[in-house]
Amino acid sequence: MARNPIRDEIAIVGLGSTGFYRDSGGRSAKALACDASIRAIRDAGFEPGDIDGIVGAAEPGGPNPNEMSAALGLPQVTHFSSPMPVAVFALVDAMNAIFSGSCSTVLLYFAYTRLPWNSRSAAEDPFRRHHTLGVMPAPESVNAAAAYAAWASRYIHEYDARREDFGRVALNARAGAARNPLAVMKTPLSMEGYLQARMIREPLCLLDMDIPVDGADAFVLTRTECAREKTRNPVVVHAATTGLVGTNDEDQLPSLRRHGQHVVVESLRAKSDLWLEDMDIFFPYDGFSIITLGWIENFGWCPPGGAGRFLEEHWDPEAGCVMIDGRIPLNPHGGSLSEGATRGSGHIREAVMQLRGDAGERQVAGARNALIGCGGFFFNSQGAILRRL
Amino acid sequence: MSEDVDDAALIERFPYVRIDHDSKHFYRGWLDERLLFNRCDACERFHHPPKPVCPSCWCASLTPTEVSGRGVIHLAMFLHQGPPAPGVDYAMAAHPVVAVELEEQEGLRFTSTVIGCPREAIRIGLPVELGWVERFGAPFPVFRPVEGS
Ligand SMILES: [Zn+2]
Repeated sequence: MARNPIRDEIAIVGLGSTGFYRDSGGRSAKALACDASIRAIRDAGFEPGDIDGIVGAAEPGGPNPNEMSAALGLPQVTHFSSPMPVAVFALVDAMNAIFSGSCSTVLLYFAYTRLPWNSRSAAEDPFRRHHTLGVMPAPESVNAAAAYAAWASRYIHEYDARREDFGRVALNARAGAARNPLAVMKTPLSMEGYLQARMIREPLCLLDMDIPVDGADAFVLTRTECAREKTRNPVVVHAATTGLVGTNDEDQLPSLRRHGQHVVVESLRAKSDLWLEDMDIFFPYDGFSIITLGWIENFGWCPPGGAGRFLEEHWDPEAGCVMIDGRIPLNPHGGSLSEGATRGSGHIREAVMQLRGDAGERQVAGARNALIGCGGFFFNSQGAILRRL
Repeated sequence: MSEDVDDAALIERFPYVRIDHDSKHFYRGWLDERLLFNRCDACERFHHPPKPVCPSCWCASLTPTEVSGRGVIHLAMFLHQGPPAPGVDYAMAAHPVVAVELEEQEGLRFTSTVIGCPREAIRIGLPVELGWVERFGAPFPVFRPVEGS
């Protein structure tokens, strides 16, 4: 067992979300972030003066913590930071700040806006056009998003994977989104529809990629001891970690069998009293469908290369989605593929909603423990286990 | 020769690349149609992309060293849309992008496109070699199939 003194010590006591849209109209990222933040602080039953830490993921176009603090009129904060995306970087920073005593209660926010280079309609908004890429990169690169299509080619080569293996990730997400009022993509999706979708970076098609949205999520975190004054059964972070291997340049990654996800899984497992058999919900990140296949395999639900078959074997045809052993759903909120590209904050929010018992028609009866594998293979692999005490 | 090209001029020759002090030798090599990878003077290992020290032994004495450009396709994707570039017409044909594992060292890879090859032949495992085309008036390294492969 690894040292994990923060185990169960930090509780998530407030949630707020704007829901996710292809176009939120004339609302800025800051307006969306304020909306979600106010909801989260009210949900926690706190006042502005109770918030003495503010952490926001450094999303392109998103507001800085100092701007948010000014917009919300927080009297004073003793910890503020903006960790890079994706979501667990900011979660871990907020947890550590509280645990170390830098502050006592953190507002954690994530604001997303469609950017001119990933949305045609966003490119028509003169305010959004202010964002520029700087140097326009050459097409001959497997950096950033393109890396997942490139390594998907390797996955197919090594494991003889079929397009349907990727398609089931997309279908599962769409089925969840249909049951989630916050989600953007609710039109039903069939395997036929998936297979006909436009190729973008072959072998990955449009439906293998998360969907750019406008929207925001916010959370309030505090010490579990304080949370217990309001509820006997707060949702707490049991373990959280990030993971990186030395050779993480996208085209130099050693192999599909050794990257950031493997470090995350080893670290989480060593820190946690709970493991796969204890889980009620599983959140494998799905910024790209190949990432989900990776998390399923690397957490050990099935052997390397076996995720496609695993999804097929655990498919619930009636619900149109995955139910591991008939009871554990995957990304029941629709994930980044269909709820919207929340870079993991949606996965964390849904985990908390489920563990509180607030997930409506998606509710997993009696859910106690949730496993989150967030981020991809290279420089943002991370994970967390949440539980209800 | 590229030694005559000062840093400001080098940046102008490659408007689509973010060049810095760590990568300037690499791109100066392109002007001479040479693919130069950092090689450690102490442990003789190559690395890429260029870093300020050898990641294997922390030696800061690195020599940009020409590699053969021969290797095998390790990753292969086809862009149906993407950033604009001269000679790339996504509507005409999906643009191949490959990461090639070079024969000099296991795991040492370089990413570019493949020319002179039907789409069906571009697949993981194909032996390729280096060639040079022109982009924005400067040499640009690409791969082509090894003859007879
Ligand atoms: Zn060395």
